[in-house]
Amino acid sequence: MATASRERPSRTAPDGWSSLMEAAQNGHGGAYRRLLGEMSEWLTRYFQRRLPPGDVDDAVQETLLAIHRRRHTYDPQHPLGPWLAAIAKNKWVDQLRSLARRPVDELPDDIAVGDHEASVVSSSVLASLLDELRPAQAQAILLVKVQGYSVEEASGKIGLSVSAVKMNIHRGLARLTAIIEKSPDVE
Amino acid sequence: MSSESLIANLSSDLAPVQRRSMVREGGLVLALGAAELALFLGLGVMRPDISHMAGSPYLMWRVGSLGLLAVVACVLAIRSFSPTARPRRGLVLACALAVAAIVGGAFVTPDGASERALFDRIDPSSGILCATSIFVLSLPIVALLGALMRRAAPTQPRLSALASGIAAGACGAFVFAFCCPFNDPLYVVVWYTVGCVAVAAAARWRLPRRFRL
Repeated sequence: MATASRERPSRTAPDGWSSLMEAAQNGHGGAYRRLLGEMSEWLTRYFQRRLPPGDVDDAVQETLLAIHRRRHTYDPQHPLGPWLAAIAKNKWVDQLRSLARRPVDELPDDIAVGDHEASVVSSSVLASLLDELRPAQAQAILLVKVQGYSVEEASGKIGLSVSAVKMNIHRGLARLTAIIEKSPDVE
Repeated sequence: MSSESLIANLSSDLAPVQRRSMVREGGLVLALGAAELALFLGLGVMRPDISHMAGSPYLMWRVGSLGLLAVVACVLAIRSFSPTARPRRGLVLACALAVAAIVGGAFVTPDGASERALFDRIDPSSGILCATSIFVLSLPIVALLGALMRRAAPTQPRLSALASGIAAGACGAFVFAFCCPFNDPLYVVVWYTVGCVAVAAAARWRLPRRFRL
């Protein structure tokens, strides 16, 4: 299936698909099952790039049904890829039309939440800064300055003396200050 | 239902299917057209001077161009029923052929015809009857092409329906050409075009509604 994992089956559909479909046209259920399974994987990837996540399964199943109903129209003398791509594209257009017809519900006012951008950015920046410290310093600062533990509690969690925790916090913060001051994009 | 369940359902008790064959479909359309022509001529409506007219440039132009257009349009329509077909180019070809046939009519206009008044040459009262006859004669072909289209898998059903309408209209006009008593190419161009366009428009409007891939 490695060759079928790309975007365009016209180029990448395995030669085996044609023979599987030919066998399916002759009534071979096992070949048909295998073929539909492989097509289903390809169709899932195809629609994931083109439709909202909630509509992908519907589109895949609609396409599988269309393939089943129209399997007699496939000519084994030609590659299967363009035939499959044409049907998939048709179903994609159908899904887009149904999306356009679907009524749009207005979202209630109380669904809105506060802006978390600042805290997300801060968290990301802090994580990258802590990576610059020695592990004992980073852990002490994280426990005491970020998560709110007391120095004594942090001492118990880390397994160092209280004075060693204080020392790590002090040296770690000094190093963080130096890193931030050297950083060119700090406002 | 998950896709796995659907696949299991579809693949269980799978029956063999008869593959679509364009040659067989073309043969069906040809057989129906031939039967219609034979039946129509068998009713005794063929113009009485057809044997006298045989070989004349006018009849060659009328029957030849309509026959060629009918064959080309039928082939294009049947080919367009495939999911991978691109009917647009074929439709352009069919339209170009129709225009060439119309232009060709200028070279077979009988002497003196152009001296008559335009209204007399077109003769609307007879012309409407001719266009209606072409429309009626094309109905069996358009019905057959519609059935073939439903069984196939066109991914551009509107263009396929239009191609079917043009093909059916050309077939109807071809059959009618054997009994039409008018010899003025202008009359033929105007009213045969009206009949064919009416069939194409009806097919374009009606056939896609009955189709679902």
